[in-house]
Amino acid sequence: MDGTKHDRAKFKLALILGLGSVSLVVLFILSLTTGVMDISFGEAMTGVWNLIRNGGVHQNTQELVLWQLRIPRALGVIAVGVGLSVAGAVMQALIRNPLVDPYITGVSSGAALGVTLAVLGGVTFVGMTAYMAPLMAFIGAITAFLLTMLLAEAAGGRSISYVLGGVIVGIALQSGTTLLMYYNTDRLHGVLFWLFGSFAYLDWDSVLLIVIGVAVLSAIMLIYAKELNVILLGDEQAKQLGMDVKRFKTFMFVLVSALTAVCVAFTGVIGFVGLIVPHLVRMVVGGDHRLLLPASMMLGANVLLVADIVCKTAVAPSELPIGAIISIIGAPFFGYLMVRMGKEYVM
Amino acid sequence: MSCEDELTVRVDNVSFSYGTKRNPCGRTLKDITISARKGQLIGIVGPNGCGKTTFMRCINKVLKPQEGAIYIDGKDLDRLRMMEVAKLCANIPADVPDDFHLSVEEFVSLGRYPYVTGIWWEGEKDVRLVREAMEAYHVTHLKDRKLAELSSGEKARVLLAKGAVQQPKILLADEPSAHLDLKFKLQVMQALKDLSRQGVTVITASHDINLIAKYADMVIIISDGGIISYGPPAEVITEEIIRAVYGVEVMLFKEKGEIFVIPLRPVDTGKGADADQRPCEKGIVAD
Repeated sequence: MDGTKHDRAKFKLALILGLGSVSLVVLFILSLTTGVMDISFGEAMTGVWNLIRNGGVHQNTQELVLWQLRIPRALGVIAVGVGLSVAGAVMQALIRNPLVDPYITGVSSGAALGVTLAVLGGVTFVGMTAYMAPLMAFIGAITAFLLTMLLAEAAGGRSISYVLGGVIVGIALQSGTTLLMYYNTDRLHGVLFWLFGSFAYLDWDSVLLIVIGVAVLSAIMLIYAKELNVILLGDEQAKQLGMDVKRFKTFMFVLVSALTAVCVAFTGVIGFVGLIVPHLVRMVVGGDHRLLLPASMMLGANVLLVADIVCKTAVAPSELPIGAIISIIGAPFFGYLMVRMGKEYVM
Repeated sequence: MSCEDELTVRVDNVSFSYGTKRNPCGRTLKDITISARKGQLIGIVGPNGCGKTTFMRCINKVLKPQEGAIYIDGKDLDRLRMMEVAKLCANIPADVPDDFHLSVEEFVSLGRYPYVTGIWWEGEKDVRLVREAMEAYHVTHLKDRKLAELSSGEKARVLLAKGAVQQPKILLADEPSAHLDLKFKLQVMQALKDLSRQGVTVITASHDINLIAKYADMVIIISDGGIISYGPPAEVITEEIIRAVYGVEVMLFKEKGEIFVIPLRPVDTGKGADADQRPCEKGIVAD
């Protein structure tokens, strides 16, 4: 009995989402048990349950820690994992290059510079002080992406052009960040976590912004999964199949930049997630974005949550910066991809 | 005029130039006028850079001619939205995207894109048509394979299946057999011929004059952006025309109604037969 493609696809999707959710819940509780204060798995579960029942009103210190520190942090990690993975997958489709992600294309660096400008450079707009960081992250992300695209297109628009363009833009923008830090050494702590990427400073306000932003933007991208498939054929073929390629790509580029900005605005630059996750998922479910995007979301959330738990426990009671940890895993993986696929791609 | 309804493609005085500020010397289509009937297999031949691909790009509205008009099935191309063009006109790309782990079935399904009304999944009819097309082109056993794993011959069949699934009135195939061995070349051309007999007007460009001569109902010979000759293979494929267009001396003989062209040597003229005549074309359109 050979089911139709859709039945199989839907089954696969349900399986991935089911298993992913189960492991995500377990990891979520597990991540609540890690930290300076001892909270056991059982205590974390009852604590969460009580907090949900009481609408966030804590009854003891444990619940206070859970509510104020660990739950927002875990939620933030999950949302950023989802966001970066989706952003990576969509970027890869738009540029038709499986070797790009928000980090490689310099978008993260642009967002980082934006935030540094807001925090250290004192750039501000009237009445926008509260949301200056995410706003500047967005502006930085869009600018970086535009620069990378312009460079790459001018250089012929081949796969390698985007990677190199991103590297150039990334380095340039990073040096901007470095300079700002150099001249503001007295206020460095406010922005230092940026360089490493960290979830340690998340509060409910920023977490809500991340979660809502990621949810809305990823949902829009999910709606366009079919179009993302068509775009894989290349601009001319997609146009020929009836798509308004230019409009779609512009629209998606803005969304991707916004998504990246939301993810990195509060947590700093976390590279390679957007590269590794869609890659692994493609190997398992294939290239259809209707499977790829949801599965990437699940895996991204799980991977980042594991990484965050590692960061919190490896050298407890102090903490490792998650951005660095992910990069330690990511760099060899990227190297592996380059060696293995470099032969196949026109680089 | 009864024969007017049978016309699927009518090209009226079309001229096109790639000329932009960045590439002022882009090559041009010059005043092309031509029409094709339903169910014909039309072959385009001409030297590199003569405008074959440009011509085909104009027909599926990827490029917009600066002058003239193109009518498909009686409808002015200029007034159709791309989505409507996509339902009339399919094109077979030179290659498949193989970096993204798309399976054969997923790839063929993309041909249904203009018809899919749901937000996410294709409808039952789309699924059925995809299944039928995969059967017709003998790729059903490959449906879960990744595109990157296919041989050239298999890729060619998958590309044909994707074109057929789009249910076009016109199928454009630019060098569909370029990288194939003899047997697959014949199979691909035969498949195009079969499609044309099912009522699809097939327009194909090729460097293989023998293949075109064997399969095409009508042959367009383009040189330097203009049509040199248009008619049945036996009338337009002649030693004189090939010498004039390609700058090559050929021997031509006919047997059992088929034409065979055997290239002998480049003609020794000042023109320089091996010079690439399209220095400006590179980098204009990303493929």
